[in-house]
Amino acid sequence: MNEFIYNIAVWLDDTAYSALIHESYYMYNWIESTHVLTLMVSLGMLFLIDLRMLGYAFPDVPASKIADKLNIPMLIGFTVMFITGILLFYAVPVRSSQSVWFRIKMLLLVACAVNAYLFHKKMSGSVASWDNDVKAPSRIRVGAWLSLGFWSIVVICGRFIAYDWLDCARNQPALIEFIAGCIDGQTRF
Amino acid sequence: MPTSILGPYTRSIVTVGVILAALVFCFTYIRSDVYVSIFPFFEWMETTWFGVIGKTWGAAFASVQTIHLLGLALLGGSVLVGDGRVLGLLMTDISVRTIVDRCHSLLVWSLVLTISTGIFMACGVALKIYYLPVFWYKMLALGAGVLFHFLVRRPLLQHDLERINPVVLKMTAISSILVWFLVAATGRWIGFSG
Repeated sequence: MNEFIYNIAVWLDDTAYSALIHESYYMYNWIESTHVLTLMVSLGMLFLIDLRMLGYAFPDVPASKIADKLNIPMLIGFTVMFITGILLFYAVPVRSSQSVWFRIKMLLLVACAVNAYLFHKKMSGSVASWDNDVKAPSRIRVGAWLSLGFWSIVVICGRFIAYDWLDCARNQPALIEFIAGCIDGQTRF
Repeated sequence: MPTSILGPYTRSIVTVGVILAALVFCFTYIRSDVYVSIFPFFEWMETTWFGVIGKTWGAAFASVQTIHLLGLALLGGSVLVGDGRVLGLLMTDISVRTIVDRCHSLLVWSLVLTISTGIFMACGVALKIYYLPVFWYKMLALGAGVLFHFLVRRPLLQHDLERINPVVLKMTAISSILVWFLVAATGRWIGFSG
């Protein structure tokens, strides 16, 4: 599996556009800045929805209104974030695919998606009975806490990708090498 | 009821005074004199506990940076929802007053979080940022954002909104979004500089 991921990463790294992005100082920085700044749109909206469910924000506004109205800007933000994230990976595919932080981040993104699906399913099934309550029922609050926790760790992992503490190019413990799927250190981008 | 000696236009006069003071500061030799005189303060910042921890443990610095980003996300959310409502783009079936007031308290909390973590980060790289023009642009943008929010936007939105020219309201909301995004963008660019 790691060999397969590595081969795809090497193929991506060999394409002209990958080199174009990582060799261009301003292009890479603009993409990364956009990726980080859309945090303000996507996670900003998500945090407000979660905080409403937990009773810490907009307690006098119906929960369903907050969730419905902020969903669209949140999804727009996530779309831009997703596209810029793919471009960032495409610019540095070999190192990224062998990064412990990147791999944890990807797993957590899947967990976030599953949690969001369950959260909306539970919410839409019961919101009429607690829409005006300051706090959502406990099962919804658990989903909100999980969302806050997962996304916070996603941001942590995203930030830590930039650091080389656990890079394959350095001597790492066997566990880290196993999680990172180290094959070729960091001889490529 | 106590009244200010400046009359009913106290806030406007203070705001204009602050803008004039900033312009005088930026376009005279006062700026370079102050720039040189605050260098020892930046040297001292690196010797504080925050500075030592930030410089010694990269993981601590990166963790605080993450909290800074999470605070920024919350700040962005509160600004966009509040100003989006003023612009009539979001949650139009809920009163502007309710949304703006709730967003204000969130913005204050997120500002406390971002500024306190920002101070920690600045201590870790104080001498580096001292020489970075983009850091000073960020400080200028942050100062403008805070002053704009507390001296212009907040007092304006506490009036009867029906009696305020809608164009003024919209311009205020757009300015607010732009200034906070400028704060975030210049902050991000610090990482690329130096």
